[in-house]
Parts: sequence; C-alpha cells; structure tokens
Amino acid sequence: MNRTLKILFVAILLVPGVLFAISWAQYRLGGWFAGSCPFFGTPLCDTGGTSLAWVSALLFHMLVFVMVLATLLTVAERKWSAFTQDRIGPERARVGPAWMRKYSFGGLPHVAADALKMIFKENTRPKAADKDRILFWLAPVLAFAPVFALAAVIPFGPTVPVNGHAISAQVANPNFGLLYIFAIASLAVYGTSLAGWASNSKFALLGGVRAASQMISYEVALGLSLVGMMVAFSTVQLPVLIGAAAAGTGQAQYLWQGSMLGLDFGIPAWGIFLQPLGFLLFFTAAFAETKRAPFDVPEGESEIIGYFLEYSGMKFGTFMISEFIEVVVLSALITAIFLGGWHLGFAGDVALAQGLGRSHPVLYGAFCGAVFAMKVVLLCWFQLIVRWTFPRFRYDQIMTLGWKVLLPLGLFNLFASAALVLLDPTLHWLALAGLLEISVLAGLTLTRKAPTSGSGHEAAGHGPSDVHALPAAAASAHH
Amino acid sequence: MAYYQATKDPTTDIRERTYVPELLHGLAVTIRHFMRNLFFPRDTNTDVLHRTGTSQITTVSYPEEKVTYPPGYRGLHRLVPREDGKPRCVACYMCATICPAQCIHIEAGEYETTDASADSRVIEKFPTRFVIDELRCIVCGLCVDACPKDAIRMDTGRHTPSEYSRSGFVWDIPRLLEGPAVSHPSDPWLKRPNSERPAHVHLEKHARIGEGLVPLKLPRPPTAHPVRTEVTSGPVPVTKFLRD
Repeated sequence: MNRTLKILFVAILLVPGVLFAISWAQYRLGGWFAGSCPFFGTPLCDTGGTSLAWVSALLFHMLVFVMVLATLLTVAERKWSAFTQDRIGPERARVGPAWMRKYSFGGLPHVAADALKMIFKENTRPKAADKDRILFWLAPVLAFAPVFALAAVIPFGPTVPVNGHAISAQVANPNFGLLYIFAIASLAVYGTSLAGWASNSKFALLGGVRAASQMISYEVALGLSLVGMMVAFSTVQLPVLIGAAAAGTGQAQYLWQGSMLGLDFGIPAWGIFLQPLGFLLFFTAAFAETKRAPFDVPEGESEIIGYFLEYSGMKFGTFMISEFIEVVVLSALITAIFLGGWHLGFAGDVALAQGLGRSHPVLYGAFCGAVFAMKVVLLCWFQLIVRWTFPRFRYDQIMTLGWKVLLPLGLFNLFASAALVLLDPTLHWLALAGLLEISVLAGLTLTRKAPTSGSGHEAAGHGPSDVHALPAAAASAHH
Repeated sequence: MAYYQATKDPTTDIRERTYVPELLHGLAVTIRHFMRNLFFPRDTNTDVLHRTGTSQITTVSYPEEKVTYPPGYRGLHRLVPREDGKPRCVACYMCATICPAQCIHIEAGEYETTDASADSRVIEKFPTRFVIDELRCIVCGLCVDACPKDAIRMDTGRHTPSEYSRSGFVWDIPRLLEGPAVSHPSDPWLKRPNSERPAHVHLEKHARIGEGLVPLKLPRPPTAHPVRTEVTSGPVPVTKFLRD
C-alpha cells in the first residue's frame, strides 16, 4: 500500500506539478523577453523589432521538456520493460550519502550512470571507414538534428497574453505547419543510411539500407493518414488544428454538447473520434519512422546489430537519444493532431477558458501546458508498452504492411473522410463514421471467437481453449 | 505480419485476419502485468512458489535475499567442533585419502604419552594442519561420508566466497572450524567414566588449533584486507581501431 501511494503521488501530483512549473516558467520568461527585457533593442540584443519570446519556448519546451523526457525514457524503457516482463529492472545504481543509498529512486541514477558511460567511453572508428571520416562524423548529427528540429513547430500550450504580449508555447508557427513535419522527418533517413554507408561494414550497411527502404515506404502512409484531418479542419497549422475552447474551434469544439451546473461536457471533435482509422495508420507509420519494435529491422539486434554498429561512446548515444526524441516528438504530434492537444476534452474546457483563462491567463496557459505534456508522457508510455508487446516484423512483412495495407487504407480513409466532410461540414457525419469504426473494433476485441470444438486446429494446442487447465478430477485432488 | 500466416489457416476469423483486436489483447496482457508490478510492492518471499503478492515479479535480489537450499545441499565445508570448541577431527586421513580431487591436506600431531594424566588420554591424534583447497574441491561430499568421527560436514548452506587471490581459497582450521558443536553418545570422552571431559594436559596445545595460533605454511598468508592482484600486461594491442 505504501508503494501504491508513492506511485500515485508521483503520477498524480509530482509529474503534473513539474510539467505545470515548466509551462508556467516558459510563459513568464516569454513575457519577460517580449516586454521588459532590458537587453531588448540594445546593441546587445537587436532583433529589429521582432519578439524574442520563441527563445523561451526553445529553452523550456525543446531543451528542457523534450530533451529531459527523452533522456528519462532511456531508463524508463529499461524499467518499464522490466515491469511488463515481471522483472525488477535497473535499481543498483545508488548515489549520495548512506541514507540515500537505501533507496533506488526508481532507477533514476542510472540515467547519470548511462550518460557518464556514453561520454567517457573510448571513441573508436573502423580503420576502413577512414576515407569517409567526415561522413562518419556527420551521420549522428544528421540523425539527431532533424528529429530535434521537429519539436519546433509543436505547440506545447495555448497562446496567452502575458503583460500585454501574446506568448505562444511554440518556437515557430509557420503557415505550412504539418508540411514542415513531413519534410524534416524525411531528412532523418540521411543520418541512418549515411551511418550505414560510412561505417564500411556490411552489417551496418544492411541496417542503413533497411532503414532507408522502410522509412521511404512508410513516409507515404504517414502523410496520407493525416490528410483526413487536414480536410476536416481545412488547415495544416497545428495550433489551428487544436483550436481554442473559448471560441469553439478546431478539436476544442463539441460535436454533441450538454451543460450541467455551469459545467460544459460532451463529445469533443478530437481527431481520434473523427479519424480513428487515420490515427491507427499514423500511429503505425510513426512507429516505423522511429525504427523501434515492431519495426526495428534496421536495428535488428539479433541478426545485424544495426546501422550504428561501428559507433561507440557518445556517437552511438546520439543515435539512441535521437530515437527517444523521436518517440517524444511523435507523441506530441499525435497529442496535437488526434488527442485534442492541451484540451481536457470531455468536460469543463469552455468553463475553464472563460473563467481561469480570462482572470489568470498565465495560470490557464500553464495548466493547458501541463495537460498537453501529460498526454505526451502517457503516449510515450504507450509507445514503450507497444515496443515490449509486439514481436518484430520480418522485412517482407513490413513492406507488405506498408504498401499493401497502410497505403490503400490511407487512400480509402482520405476519400471516405473527404466525402463525409463534403456532405456535412459540421463534422457530425465524419464523427459518426469514426465512432462506428471504434465500436466495430471494440466489439471485435471484446468478443471472443466462437470455439470450434473437435477440429484438428485445437487438438494441436493452438486454439483458444485453456490447454493448461487441470481436468476437474485432478483439480479437486490437487486442493 | 501475422495475417499472412493467419489467412492460410481456415479456422481463423475476422479478429485474427484484421490483426488489430489480437494486438489489443496482447497489449492488455502486458499492461496488466505492468500495472500489477508498478503499483504493488514486490513479494520478497524467497520461496518463489509460495509468493502471494499482487506483484508478479519473480526475481530474488541475490546478495540481499537468498533462496534457502534443501537440507541435503552440499555447501562449504566446515570442521565440526566439540563442545569444548576443538575440532572433532582425529587426523585419520580418511577424507584426504578418498578425496578424488586431492584437495585436502592434513598433518597430524600426537598427544604426549609420558604424561601423568595419560590415563585420561582418550584421543591420540589431532590435526596440526587441516587445509582444504576450495578451488580444487569438486563438492562431491565423499569426505563427509568417509569421516568416521563426523568431523567434517558440508552443511553450512553457503558457497565458497569470492577471493582476490588463489591463496585465499585455501581454507585452514581457523576458517573451517565453525558451526554448532556436535557430540555423539559413542564419543570416547562420553563413554569412559574416567574421562568425562577431555581435560588432559594437552588441552592448551589442542585448543590453540582452533584459535588460529598454529602457523600455516601457505603460499601467501591470508591477509585481513584482501590484496587485489594487478594484471601487469602491456597495452592491449589494437589492430583494427584507431583512436580518434
């Protein structure tokens, strides 16, 4: 019970509290940069009149939130995989005075241990890769930079007025929003294939080629699965896609709405309700983009070590951390596109935006930022659970899934969604179709296949019947 | 992808062909395990089969928690003491003779016979050195079976602990003599009325054996603080890799 309380405290109070503080500090610093920063306009910091508020978003959301979360995910992957497999996981790294060494802190000191190991390990380079020295060095950078740059267009919170300046939680808000995501995400393949090529190792080259072919195949499905959402909201900008609760736009609008005691509730126009198929396709394609299980043939540690085979020390660490950053960024993307961004969704959004949003806009923004970040953390957790549940696809299965399943389904989803949006621009028909898809999937999942008794299939022990159950007589004798 | 195999199977239905419901079932299994192990404390009963906790973690954290061995488990040797703290061993060489690994070395000493209290001399011999090389021991237990005096046992329930040098694995009387004292009704000092307690004149010399006063001729005397042996070879030759 003690442990249960501790975990609940961390999950309900500590983590949301920290995320709230990060978001709050970002708005405050952004307001300071935009308004009363004494260096602003001086030769020290002459921006020609443009606001410097994006620097605060860069600091707090890209460097603090995304980077720290990705770093923590390295140890979370080990700890959480241990829990799914009934193991203890990392807990042996103990730091500090004697009273602190009695606690494992959930394996957190392993983050520091891993980082130190990565940084201080010898940096080796294959002799045969010498002539490609520059490419060999460039590959980790090219793998890391695009993935990290993806986080620039993700809105981690609403735009709120701070000291009279509109401060957003987004580094940049280009009007080509999602297209930037597609363009930059494709660049990451250069890093992996370059790593495979420049290592001058056949296994690394295999990994690089696998990564390149896989990412090219899934790029199509990735883009196609989002077109439905673009059609539904007629925008490619992520903040517009998320919408504003007070104005009732974007995913913040209610499809079916009620109200009780001044509190609004209803079914929101979240992407997952409008486009469940698109969500499934995007999630699958995004997994292939992260090159993690079940799509980890580029790594394939049991067959080829992967495109980073010849890298050691922090160069390998760069590949690893970019993988986790990709997990975080894709979680943030899914949150923004399909899970209503920073909105609570089912109840209280409008009341919150009109109450707290008017009286204390910074607190409202920080609250929304915490909600967004919590959704991101939960999705990261879900991605890690998926990684430790599904077995790796074979290479031909990956190609079959990408070209013969995801691509046709994506096209079908696009045309069906476009037709439904054309029929009913208020999105109700689209939502009905989406809810129908969800209920069909839920029905298939929650019902069991009818037992086919007596067939040779079950006699071979592959059927759903419990072959391990004791016969009744043996069971009674057992007790 | 599993649907490829599944569609060849005539007994599959839509759940397996669409693949996603089965994936969700799998996810439910792992999430259930995750939640049970995350939210509930680990059952630390080292008898894993008798654990009743909600958490399903089966690990036994070895140095802190140890699985109890079955009663017949052959562990580290010990020299069985008598009630007065001296070893029961009479230096008969039975164990050293039968040992297939030849890891037991005994040197016998004899009590004086010209003594006034020779009548009470119930034991003639005692080991001045009793050394077992635990690295050579194959833990067969033949020494225990061979001993006529129940003087050597393997009932400590422990392994040979790690050492920093090979000489540390050579166990002598001060390290071997431990555990609860054992006496049998057939012990001579219990059988003879005039020798109820073995309080003969050689008591002092005899007692020294168990107190570590007998010098042992070891390759290197065991030190209180084990010395880590330095491996002094040259730099590891790196042929294929260059330093950056």
